[in-house]
Amino acid sequence: MRSQTPGTNVVLLSLSLLALVVWLGLDTVSLAANRIVPGTGYRIDEILGWGGALATCLPWLALVGIAWRPTRPRLVLALALVVLMLSALPAWLALSAETLVDIPGARLGIGAGIWVVLFLLLLALIELRTRLVLGRLLGWGLLLPPVASAGFCLARWLEPLALWQEYRSRSDQFLGAVGEHLLLVGVAVGTSLALGVGLALAMRRWPGVQKVGFGVLNFLQTIPSIALFGLLLAPLAWLSANVDWLSALGVSGIGWAPALLALVGYSLLPMVRNTFVALEAVDPGVVDAARGMGMSRGQVFRQVRLPLALPVILEGVRITTVQAIGLTAVAALIGAGGLGTFIFQGLGQAAMDLVLLGALPILVLALLVDALLGALTDILRPGGAE
Amino acid sequence: MIDLIHVSKRFGAAAAVNDISLSIAEGELCVLVGTSGCGKSTTLRMINRLIEHSEGEIHIDGQQIRRFREEALRRRMGYAIQSTGLFPHWTVARNIGLVPRLLKWPAAQVQARVEELMELLGLSMEQFAGKYPHQLSGGQAQRVGVARALAADPDILLMDEPFGALDPITRESLQDELRELQARLHKTIVFVTHDMDEALRLADHLVVMHQGRIVQQGRPLELLREPADDFVESLLGGEDRGLKEAALLPVSQRMRPLSPRLLARERIGQHASLREALSLMLWRHAERLTVVDDADMPVGELSLRRLVGERSDD
Repeated sequence: MRSQTPGTNVVLLSLSLLALVVWLGLDTVSLAANRIVPGTGYRIDEILGWGGALATCLPWLALVGIAWRPTRPRLVLALALVVLMLSALPAWLALSAETLVDIPGARLGIGAGIWVVLFLLLLALIELRTRLVLGRLLGWGLLLPPVASAGFCLARWLEPLALWQEYRSRSDQFLGAVGEHLLLVGVAVGTSLALGVGLALAMRRWPGVQKVGFGVLNFLQTIPSIALFGLLLAPLAWLSANVDWLSALGVSGIGWAPALLALVGYSLLPMVRNTFVALEAVDPGVVDAARGMGMSRGQVFRQVRLPLALPVILEGVRITTVQAIGLTAVAALIGAGGLGTFIFQGLGQAAMDLVLLGALPILVLALLVDALLGALTDILRPGGAE
Repeated sequence: MIDLIHVSKRFGAAAAVNDISLSIAEGELCVLVGTSGCGKSTTLRMINRLIEHSEGEIHIDGQQIRRFREEALRRRMGYAIQSTGLFPHWTVARNIGLVPRLLKWPAAQVQARVEELMELLGLSMEQFAGKYPHQLSGGQAQRVGVARALAADPDILLMDEPFGALDPITRESLQDELRELQARLHKTIVFVTHDMDEALRLADHLVVMHQGRIVQQGRPLELLREPADDFVESLLGGEDRGLKEAALLPVSQRMRPLSPRLLARERIGQHASLREALSLMLWRHAERLTVVDDADMPVGELSLRRLVGERSDD
């Protein structure tokens, strides 16, 4: 009887089948003699032979089986398998390094196969977390073993890994770049939050401001970021040449000043829009009751309107911050520093691993901020529930 | 005691309320009734200054309301509205304690008052105090709304269609509760509704409004028996007027002392309305009912001829 057994989990099934094909079919690693020459790709069977390669497929086949007839205990098993495989990926890289690297200075690249499998495994993790209704904290805790495994393998065996080599030759700049990146994003988001809330309040009071304000902000949003940096160059250069205290501050046509201005400009629209909509959307019945009970205007705003609007305002902060983390990468073009520096250096030297050294932390930062602010929004929702 | 003296409210050229005079006595439940847009809600909201009147004077206990600070005036009056207006981010207990906290009562006193009110409104403390409004049913939420309006023990209660969004059964039981509450608390209540049955059930003093004016006011029975014009008559239900009147009169008013005849089989309580008695007669095909007291002891009898009126009896 079909209806008696749990239905097939199509998501998990297709993810594991796809991962199986990718795992066997695409290059898992590549090896290059030095930084200049392009690497040679190695599929898994070229490293382990077909017997070994098929042996590594067993966990995938187990996942396929579980997805075919999932029950809760089996899904827990699948979750353990996925976490185990995530933790095994760095070990696999270490094994490849031990087997393949024979000359000193050779560089091991991470192949397309590993990236795709990593992506698919993370999707499977999310799917399983949703199915098993795990808490936010536990969900994040599941990532600890893979991260620990990666750290351990990097320290012991992965010296030839190209990404790791790029990091080690720039380890002193790396933390500085992360710091610059976060500082730019933090100041830009902080400034646009202060300005945005002020502007949203003004818009609520004067409808004229609302029309003009949204018009200008929408227009700003449509200018491509590189063009905006270019447009800011001339006026800022003129200002720093003519206003002493500005040049003393370090304002010039390039560098952090135009980057910050552009970031604030782009951040304002989502910030103002969310704040405005959030404050407007508060149930008029609630406000009427609050006033009818004898709350003053200030009390209505502080105790009723603002707390009810806060989750939506925070949503705006979240969108803005994630967007700003990405945009700040482009700001490296005009010498504002940050992780974008590595990306553009890497592009210039055709060194993809250096590009990754800039891009991966940006990705991780964006995901972290997204998750943190999302959790904060949930906590602040009325009644803590829904 | 609330007095409105030649009060008008204009929005631009249009008059929402046009030269109304109304005197609401202390301890009276005054119902403003009329079709939508007749100015009844505006009138209510002028009393707590959510809307400022354009002309005339409004007095509370002989003092002009403009002499009070808006917030101070409103904290002296309870306010309950159709959408309940409960704060979704506050628990039930915190919602109820709102006005006492605004009045800076000590925390222990607020807590005691909240407990007292929840008991008064039949909301169990352990079950509801920590709940949020979205976890309540419509009737429960409106009970909390009424409790919140009563929190600082105001003399005056303003209620703007408080039961309008509820299903008929919940609405009737809340109407009954309001009447019981009023019998105990003797507040001065201004109650706005468009539902004539609700108005007749609740009102001591019924005010019919139409196009910004008061067309008639008085006791519900007076209006039923002598409507001032066709509008009031149609609002009072036209052909249903007889039944509406019967719904207001208790059986005890028309019953006769027990006769030596056999007791009629069907029984009805002496506090039931004539309408209920008539319905029972129709349903049971009975021309005579035995009237019983609260202890189910026969105290009189009611015949169909007595029920329909005294004139046909002599």
